Amino acid sequence: MEEGLMIVEGICVVIGVYCAIRAVFEPKTLKKLPYLNVMNFAVAGSIVLLMPYPITICAAIAYFIGSTLESNAISSTVAQLEEK
Amino acid sequence: MIDLIPAIPLAAVICLLLFTALDIFWKLPQKGGVSGADVIGKELENSGGDLNGGWMIGNIISSPDASAGTLLAACGYYAWGIWGALISIVLVYVGARICADKGFAGTSGAICATLIIWALTSFAGFPPESFIAGCVIAIFLVEGISPKHASRLLGKIWRKVS
Repeated sequence: MEEGLMIVEGICVVIGVYCAIRAVFEPKTLKKLPYLNVMNFAVAGSIVLLMPYPITICAAIAYFIGSTLESNAISSTVAQLEEK
Repeated sequence: MIDLIPAIPLAAVICLLLFTALDIFWKLPQKGGVSGADVIGKELENSGGDLNGGWMIGNIISSPDASAGTLLAACGYYAWGIWGALISIVLVYVGARICADKGFAGTSGAICATLIIWALTSFAGFPPESFIAGCVIAIFLVEGISPKHASRLLGKIWRKVS
């Protein structure tokens, strides 16, 4: 891999792994979500960096929007449970 | 032509300023938006954060906001130049509608980011990949280190400008 690309990829991977670990060790579901969001940013960036083709843009965006929808669903469910 | 190493922190600062300014412009800290964002804001307030800043973080998590637009435009631009960025803008618009987002923070973020990235890569010699790393670092600063303290700071900024 080219050196410049390795630095960028390295930043994404380090931040992604750090936030994944923080999410695992955070006991409250709602407080896990900010860390997961950062992890999703890092993963979406890594997808494009690893495979820089036009079609990859769609894959990265589909991943990102999908994970946002998931976080949305998790937090809405928690909100509904708290209402009851 | 600017080197990659100094370009990344510069890009991070540019991305951070861009998406915070746009999110505040679209009034993300004003209310919870969807019920999920509301409950994240309240949770952050309960743990010692700020409610307005918490709502903004909640809105960032529950829908593609300006930060998502910035990242995805950077990814698109890196992979396929201006055409890739245009694909990103369209898909971010569709994604925001899927997530039931009423505002246009994501789409406007993608458009502004495309213009800034195009200008800086064409005229200042920034490598396009520096904006991907920059945006990941910028969102890490907001949500990854301490969402509690970030929410306090965002709340303070919001009360100053509103």
